Amino acid sequence: MSDFRRIFAAALAAALLAAPAQAAEVVKIGALYPLTGNSAPAGQAALAAVELGEDIVNNAHPELKGLPLAATAGLPHLGGAKVEVINVDHQGDPSVGQQQTLRLITQEHVAALLGVYHSSVALTATAVAERYGVPFVVGDSVAANITQRGFKWTFRVTPIATDFAKAYTQFLTEMKHAGKKVDTVAVLNENTDYGTSVGNSIVEAAKAGGFAVLQIVYNAKSTDVSAQVLQLKEKKPDVAVFVGYTADEILYMKTLKDLDVLPQMIIGDDAGFSDPSFIPAVGDIAQGVLDRSAWAEGPPGSATYLINEMYKKKTGRDLDDTSGRWMQAFFVLCDAIDRAGSTDPAKIQQALRATDLKPAQLMMGYRGVKFDATGQNILASTYLIQLQGKTYKAVWPEDRATAKLEWPMKGWK
Amino acid sequence: MKRWPLFALAAALLAYPWLVAGTDSAAFLQDTGALVLLAAIGASAWNIVGGYAGQISVGHAMFFGAGAYLPLLVYQHWQLPPLVGVPLGVAASLVIAVFIGFPTFRLVGHYFSMATIAVAELLRIVVGNWDFLGAAIGLQGPATARGWYDVIFRSAVPYYYIFLAVLALLILATWRMQQSRLGYYLGAIRAGERAARSLGVPVRRYKLYALMLSAGFTSLAGSLYALKTGFVDPDSGLGILVSVQMIITAALGGAGTLFGPLLGAAILVPLQTATNTWLGGSGSGLTYIVYGGVIVLIARFEPGGLLELWHRLLAARRRRAEVRHAA
Amino acid sequence: MILLQVIAGGLLLGAVYALFSAGLTLIWGMMNFINFAHGEFVMLGMYAALLTVTWVGGGPGVFGFAAALALFLLGVLIYFSLIKQVMRGPMLAQILSTFGLALLLRYAAFWIFSPNFVTLPTTVLSGTVDLGGILLTVPQLVAGSVAAGLGLGMHLLLTRTAVGSELLAVAEDRNAAMLMGIRPDRMQALAWGLSAASAGIAGALMAISFPFSPAVGETFALTAFVVVTLGGFGSVPGAMLAGLIVGLIQALSAYWFGPIYKDVVVYGLFVALLWLRPQGLLGKA
Repeated sequence: MSDFRRIFAAALAAALLAAPAQAAEVVKIGALYPLTGNSAPAGQAALAAVELGEDIVNNAHPELKGLPLAATAGLPHLGGAKVEVINVDHQGDPSVGQQQTLRLITQEHVAALLGVYHSSVALTATAVAERYGVPFVVGDSVAANITQRGFKWTFRVTPIATDFAKAYTQFLTEMKHAGKKVDTVAVLNENTDYGTSVGNSIVEAAKAGGFAVLQIVYNAKSTDVSAQVLQLKEKKPDVAVFVGYTADEILYMKTLKDLDVLPQMIIGDDAGFSDPSFIPAVGDIAQGVLDRSAWAEGPPGSATYLINEMYKKKTGRDLDDTSGRWMQAFFVLCDAIDRAGSTDPAKIQQALRATDLKPAQLMMGYRGVKFDATGQNILASTYLIQLQGKTYKAVWPEDRATAKLEWPMKGWK
Repeated sequence: MKRWPLFALAAALLAYPWLVAGTDSAAFLQDTGALVLLAAIGASAWNIVGGYAGQISVGHAMFFGAGAYLPLLVYQHWQLPPLVGVPLGVAASLVIAVFIGFPTFRLVGHYFSMATIAVAELLRIVVGNWDFLGAAIGLQGPATARGWYDVIFRSAVPYYYIFLAVLALLILATWRMQQSRLGYYLGAIRAGERAARSLGVPVRRYKLYALMLSAGFTSLAGSLYALKTGFVDPDSGLGILVSVQMIITAALGGAGTLFGPLLGAAILVPLQTATNTWLGGSGSGLTYIVYGGVIVLIARFEPGGLLELWHRLLAARRRRAEVRHAA
Repeated sequence: MILLQVIAGGLLLGAVYALFSAGLTLIWGMMNFINFAHGEFVMLGMYAALLTVTWVGGGPGVFGFAAALALFLLGVLIYFSLIKQVMRGPMLAQILSTFGLALLLRYAAFWIFSPNFVTLPTTVLSGTVDLGGILLTVPQLVAGSVAAGLGLGMHLLLTRTAVGSELLAVAEDRNAAMLMGIRPDRMQALAWGLSAASAGIAGALMAISFPFSPAVGETFALTAFVVVTLGGFGSVPGAMLAGLIVGLIQALSAYWFGPIYKDVVVYGLFVALLWLRPQGLLGKA
């Protein structure tokens, strides 16, 4: 009977599951991305970034100076063991995220997990990892409550909504002190979880910073944004902050030009402004827009420059902030596994807790990586980059700048 | 009707978690089993009004959503066990059913379908902008169990048997309904509303009864989803895909039949899981090409649902047996 | 002045809604068939336009025609390979088959074109016209007026030509039409072709100003459902009128109440109207 059971289960498993890889001496990491559905562009870019990260860790890349694990092949403290990333599509569905996390843990026996883009999926997937006691490193999901549930196995490398809001407010305050006229700020955010949490944080921070704030909330995937743009035309804010996805942001830029509305400065909150289709579509009418990013290509020869070259060779496009945050999270995780010297989840958790990476060891512009008791990286931070010509250049904060800030923005003029 | 297939089915369902236990894939296969049952509950509930009464609702997400939201809502705001919200969800769904049913049951055919889509979408947008209900960010359940009453388990097996019990109850209720006057009237309504009315069937009243029964069980499906997932947001609770999933599950197996929805769920959920597991990691979108393709093929070659194929095969065997008998 | 701007923008977008909805209402009314893949036809029209511009070049006339032709053929193909058989089954099989078809088409596009957003080059058509303070873009004007013209054309085709009356005859009574020597199969295939073609042109027109990806169809499908029901199933003039009204209501409510309320207002009015006038604006009771 038990033979029958084993055969039955094995047959079912064979039908439902990909055959598990049997290579010895590999460290398995499960990664969950949105590879289909509305967020597929971001998920696929992240997949390419993590695959590149896998290559950097597994093969010797001495040219990438400063990055832990780049110079050696594999993980030195594990006898040069290779990292194998098992990529999974969570389809943007919290239930699928949960199901696949369970599969990665129980069937693939991954040592740790990486994800996830959607905050909703992050919430359910990390809960499964918590129940099984497997470390889950969140690369780019920004909802505050992911790390505020007392979880012991969730670690987040990325800055979150309140960090972004702080950065914008600080930047605008500096501009004001420098004599620019910045009194009113409009915040246009889409109304899904991303837009709502970031938009509301910015409004709060800007109000606290003494700015007059106008918030306009709109539906994602609009076919028409002229009502919002006309509102800008009426209210004439000095600065407009856009929090939304690709299609909407491209449409906004076009409509702003068509209706001839140009604030002194436009700040885009990553997402749509960082999408690879943004510059080809509206680059020449969006000259001078600021974008939030912790990623900057850096001077030729630097590690970040080389990483960007490798990414370009692989995908035909530049690395963007979101994918960069995934790659950074992957490196942080690999570093912890290496220091743990083991694939035991509890040891990896310990090593993650002890993480203390300096800016020179990072590919992203964080001030470091160090987790607090909730698992949030307290040294996460962000730059502002400005579209000048065909590319974005780092312009703020000044010690990170590679180009001079242009204020007011030129737009299409 | 012969009894043995029924017993075999029951035995197989009861034994499933044990059958797959003992391998590495146990947890995942048990979890998938629970998801099959959950989809079967949703589709069977929809089947009462969509299959038996022939009123194609494309807005059942509103009942599913009510059932999913209330348990998490009582936890979010008052730290009550989510279970407390389950009856509240059913009550809310019944109220919505009456509220929706009265005006829309005047509408026939596609108008009813479109009205239900519109109401569900309306609800999704309103909930998505309402902070008390979690707005776009959604609601969460307890992250870890505070006690048994939070119904949080590491293993999927307890969920599996809870879902199985609810499904058994629902199928029993549907079977009883089929035998009763309600079932008889619904059959008449499905065959032709005008004729049914002229035969003296109180059409609107009985359609409303069917909708309420259906709504109550759909709400249970939503609650079970929320208890297991521990999270709901406007898309996963109230999105149009939630409604469409129930319809295609029932239609694929055979709408208006007792076991059609279960059959549909037993095919669709593993198909979806398998395509995602096999093809999802590459990110080519092949997952949905295969999934959509299989649905199209079934609709093309077996538009009445797969249960019809089964009945045809049985009938063919019986005929062969009779021929042999006569000879 | 801003109000006039809002109204003009809403009507022009509404005309495009009207065009692809007119396609949906054609088969809905004629064959009592709900097509859940109609939004995907719009999406494919956008990609057809993009391919034409990249490979052949030319203006909106060229790629609009190419999109229409490609989608017409696709519509006919889908009719003969799928719809014809599905129609023998119950009404639910329609939902099953076209939902599956929608997934298939969407992800086939996803596979071929990648999930990333694309836009037509701005050199295709651009510029702004100032009508006494109302700023309208050339793409907007072209899309709106071409859509309105084609919608009218479709109406005339149905009511004023021999083919049109044969189409309507099949819709009215398939068997009777057959007795009159009309071949219903051909007529229904023609209806599917026309329906898909109108969605294709509408997609091509919208592609001039909207960024798109394989996932855009969903948004348009829901809009088309509302427009068709509002106009009355099968009524092309009804769909035209309802398209304009929906465009206008969306624009006005976005301006007056805020953009997140525009769909709330549309759906709310829609449900209210269904209750008061279940046959739609111009539908027969």
